Amino acid sequence: MLKYVIKRILLMILTFIVIMTMCFVLIKMLPLPAVKEQGRDVQLVLQRREAMGYNKPIMTQYYLYWRHILLAGDFGVGEQMYVGQEVTKIMLTKIPYSIVVNLYSILIAIPIGLLLGIYAALKKNKWQDHFISTLVMLFYSVPSYVYAFLVQYILCFKTGWFPLTAASREVAGFFSWTMFRSMVPAVISLAFGTVAGLTRFTRAELSEVLTGDYLLLARTKGLTRNQAITRHAMRNAMVPILPMILGEFIGILGGSLIIENIFSIPGIGNLYVTSITVRDYNFFMADTFFYTLLGLVAGLVVDLSYGFIDPRIKMGQR
Amino acid sequence: MKKLTVAMLVLLVALCSVFAGGAKETETVVTKTTTTVPAPQVTKAEPEYKTDYATNSVNAGSITTVLGSSEGGEVSYDYYKGVAGKDYTDPAFYTFNDYTSGTSNMKWSTHTWETADDSAILDYITRGFYGFELSDDLEGWAITCEMASELPVDVTSEYVGKYGIQEGDTAKAWKIKLNPNACWEDGTPINADTYIYSYKELLDPVMKNRRADSLYAGDFVVYNAKNYFYAGQTAHQENATGAFYTKEDLTVGADGQYFTPNGEPVYLAVNYPLANWLGGNTLADYVGAYGDSYFALETWAELSALADAEGLVPLTDATYALYAPVTTGNPAWGETEADLPAYFVYDQTYPELDWSEVGIVKTGDYELVYITVSPTADANYYVPYNLSSTYLVYEPLWEACKTYYNANGDKVSKDSKDIASISTNYCTTVDTTMSYGPYKLTYFELDKQYTLERNDNWYGYKDGLHKGQYQTDKISVQVINKHETALLAFQAGEIDGVSLQADDMARFGSSDYVRYTPQSYTTKLTFNTDAASLTARGTQILTNANFRKGFALAIDVNTFASSLTTGMPGYGLLNTLYVYDPFTGASYRSTDGGKKALIELYGLTYGAGGDYDDIDEAYDAVTGYDLVGARAAMAKAYDEVKAAGIYNDEAVTLEIRVYQSDDIYVKMFNFLKNALESACVGTGFEGKVTLKMTVDEDYYDTMYSGGTDIIFTTWGGAAYSPYTVLYQCYCDASDGSGNQMEYGFDTSKVQVTIKADGVDYTESLQKWALWASGDADTVITAKDGSKLAAFNDYDPATKADFFGKLEYAYLSFFTTTPIYYRSVASMVSQKGDYAVKNYIDLVGFGGIAFYTYNYDDAAWDAYVKSGSLNY
Repeated sequence: MLKYVIKRILLMILTFIVIMTMCFVLIKMLPLPAVKEQGRDVQLVLQRREAMGYNKPIMTQYYLYWRHILLAGDFGVGEQMYVGQEVTKIMLTKIPYSIVVNLYSILIAIPIGLLLGIYAALKKNKWQDHFISTLVMLFYSVPSYVYAFLVQYILCFKTGWFPLTAASREVAGFFSWTMFRSMVPAVISLAFGTVAGLTRFTRAELSEVLTGDYLLLARTKGLTRNQAITRHAMRNAMVPILPMILGEFIGILGGSLIIENIFSIPGIGNLYVTSITVRDYNFFMADTFFYTLLGLVAGLVVDLSYGFIDPRIKMGQR
Repeated sequence: MKKLTVAMLVLLVALCSVFAGGAKETETVVTKTTTTVPAPQVTKAEPEYKTDYATNSVNAGSITTVLGSSEGGEVSYDYYKGVAGKDYTDPAFYTFNDYTSGTSNMKWSTHTWETADDSAILDYITRGFYGFELSDDLEGWAITCEMASELPVDVTSEYVGKYGIQEGDTAKAWKIKLNPNACWEDGTPINADTYIYSYKELLDPVMKNRRADSLYAGDFVVYNAKNYFYAGQTAHQENATGAFYTKEDLTVGADGQYFTPNGEPVYLAVNYPLANWLGGNTLADYVGAYGDSYFALETWAELSALADAEGLVPLTDATYALYAPVTTGNPAWGETEADLPAYFVYDQTYPELDWSEVGIVKTGDYELVYITVSPTADANYYVPYNLSSTYLVYEPLWEACKTYYNANGDKVSKDSKDIASISTNYCTTVDTTMSYGPYKLTYFELDKQYTLERNDNWYGYKDGLHKGQYQTDKISVQVINKHETALLAFQAGEIDGVSLQADDMARFGSSDYVRYTPQSYTTKLTFNTDAASLTARGTQILTNANFRKGFALAIDVNTFASSLTTGMPGYGLLNTLYVYDPFTGASYRSTDGGKKALIELYGLTYGAGGDYDDIDEAYDAVTGYDLVGARAAMAKAYDEVKAAGIYNDEAVTLEIRVYQSDDIYVKMFNFLKNALESACVGTGFEGKVTLKMTVDEDYYDTMYSGGTDIIFTTWGGAAYSPYTVLYQCYCDASDGSGNQMEYGFDTSKVQVTIKADGVDYTESLQKWALWASGDADTVITAKDGSKLAAFNDYDPATKADFFGKLEYAYLSFFTTTPIYYRSVASMVSQKGDYAVKNYIDLVGFGGIAFYTYNYDDAAWDAYVKSGSLNY
């Protein structure tokens, strides 16, 4: 197991370096915004770019970039967006918003998704199953921004139950009731997709498990249906479901571009896209660093979790 | 049963007869009544201007001319005093809730700001030496003293022999008395030292501040500002804005490269941005965009391969030979060899320079002298205009916000000798911001919200000169990325204004709360009138002016604009943005000449016997829509085209080419189709003439070759130069070789007569337009030999009068008909409103200073909760 973990970590580091290198070279190869949009004095713009090291060879820039990170933990300052402000500071300011809204969403979505999935599996091919499956298909196929606009229009504008946009920290702390209430519409909008995914997956896994021979054996041993389901079926069905839930939790750091925009949540969702649009190299690379690391760690953790959830699964063994 | 049915039918017929008869009787009575009252003996007023389509001639009425002053116009210092009591003394609390789409690029320092969002905060927390506020008549602007306590005084003569000033020079050195009450939000006084420190920092060669060019780019250049900024450095200098050396001025070095007389190498700009000659683009940009349509590209590949990393190629005979054909080999680009030096770039080494040689001089604790490279004409307006900003930073904070780097981007200390660049986070948070304006930043949350509150230390709340202003206590700006969210927030009373998009206009277009911020563009429907191309297309009825007039008058431009665009209904070539008098900011459209052009065009009359009492009333009644007149014109057109033998009652489908076929274009097309068919009702064209839409991304080019019947066209110009557009865009060439899109409308064959000071002047419309564009070589001569003065020699009102007549003359042929003035539409809240409803350049709607409230915060909350809010 330890050998497997070390091997995976080494592979992860290699993958990380390859991705970082590719992204750095590719973003540097994109043309910079036209000088005419940057000011009246062309020479000034060009000199500013020179001062920012843009004219050095790309690999020299890459070397300096890593040197600053490794020796000083310095990811640089914003050059086109949040100019002059430390990249890490800006990211740390924005991540909590994304975490909070996604966390609430998952905490609501997981029990609902599981319950609906279990119920649908238990009522397989009955009208309840068809009803839930239809709902799930609807939630799954309609883009989240459609729900978001509907939720905003009905729950915020028409009824006035919730504010149209998330509260600012001027009036509410992150974990205050005011902040929570203001985030409910976004949380609901985000939860639709997670509920749908989890319901579908749970139903499929549990349905498969319920047809297993060992369940028949359990019933013949004298267990009631409920006992067989809770003691045997659920346990086995959860093996693939729990890593999925774990992945959802790790994904909450990623933010949601569309939902954050609609409900004016200043999360991290649109940072990546904007940094590419405006060619802010430091923000782009810091985002790449963060998301790549997040993705690779999430993959590793999910893989390893199988072994912990089900001791029969031995990692790294043939 | 059958009998009953018959009886009921009889009864019904009888009832109908009674009602019908009753109605007739009433009509009869009315007729009798009117005939018994003698009609007033007033002669019906007739339009003064007349256009004769048969002879292609226009009589554009008379004018009494007044020559302008050689010293320029008079500026106003009489500013609007606001509404008494609705100002900063009002004890109730008022919050202005605004929104923005993002704060990701925000750095609202005077030295580094970039975006409109930055300047929005700057407007609240800074003040210029001089301000431009609404004039007392609410028609234009007036100049006020802000960070300066007096108007600038020309002291050039005191600096002869210094700062490049020579004997006899004037209008180069300006003494500015500083406002002694100005201070930072913490109460620290702002004096001449503050300015010297701040301006020196702005031009700091190492910091390379984004806004450094505020002191050396443009028309109001501070003496030696650029030399100080680049001191000790070698920088590329664009030849077009520098010495403009010709090849003959240069010397050849040993390796064949040319050098300036100062021994600096010269290059050719291949992929190097040329700020002046190419508007900041590179030649490679243009070659990439237009290819061989505009350039001769035989040598281009070889040339561009020689460019270095900066896009420059050393100038040698060989590279010159490769370069010259590119820009001179294709007549479409329109340049000759004489223009080639404009593509030269040479190295310029700036000598070391002490700050004392820069033209910003402290002459007292509260006195500065501002010295410019060139004299400033019309100084009473342009000097305050150029000094309407100040660039101040609070020294302790500014220094604390600096981060120093060496050439490798490593952080170094302030005292390091290896400092290669400096970055700053000044004005990026509340803690790094210091205000010297009417509001101070009290909260800033990245990409979420910022709040400004009254800066009690601002001089304006104490000097008594700002009474009637600043009723707003607090400004809260939310970040709302999605337009739909902003629209809902506005309707819920959470924000006090929202911009509108075209799709919103059906809902809000007719609201009393819509405000338009005009752009300089007018969108029109432009007709092909070229007989040959129309005959080939089978649409020669368009050559008939009455037909075009009928179509134009049938378009309800008010409805079109308010339901399908964010623009204002357009009736003339120029909208309200165009300023006829730059010294007061008054709009051309508000002049009698500008009004009369449209009143006459649409056949309204005023005065004794007229439809309206006075010119203002008549102008306000202009709609451009007259269905009765449209059908009358169509009926006349029918008779004319039949008589001319160009129409034989066949079905005709006119074609309109549009850029794309999205929903809004389809709606526009349907609107126009209905208008055309409606105009034909009751005429010989009814049921025979219709319209079809064709999508064509190159519809302009298609029209330039006579390949279609109708297109949408849009032209705009400089708001302060309204009179050049007529020649440049509408009269330069009728064959598609120029800018004019009215294909076939030869304005050199349209004769326009204007009686000026009792003398008739008749010239072609094209010549009149050229004269009105300020062309000094064009002279308007009467038959008796009298000559008009050069157009620019007349006073602003006379110029507006002349132009109004020419605008009428052009539009009266209906070769183009205005539809809407492009604008940005927005809604204002029921909570309050700006001082004026019509946008005025420089002062907008009056700004936050004159924003007044109908409800304070508590009353507004109650009003919103009552459910009465409705737009």
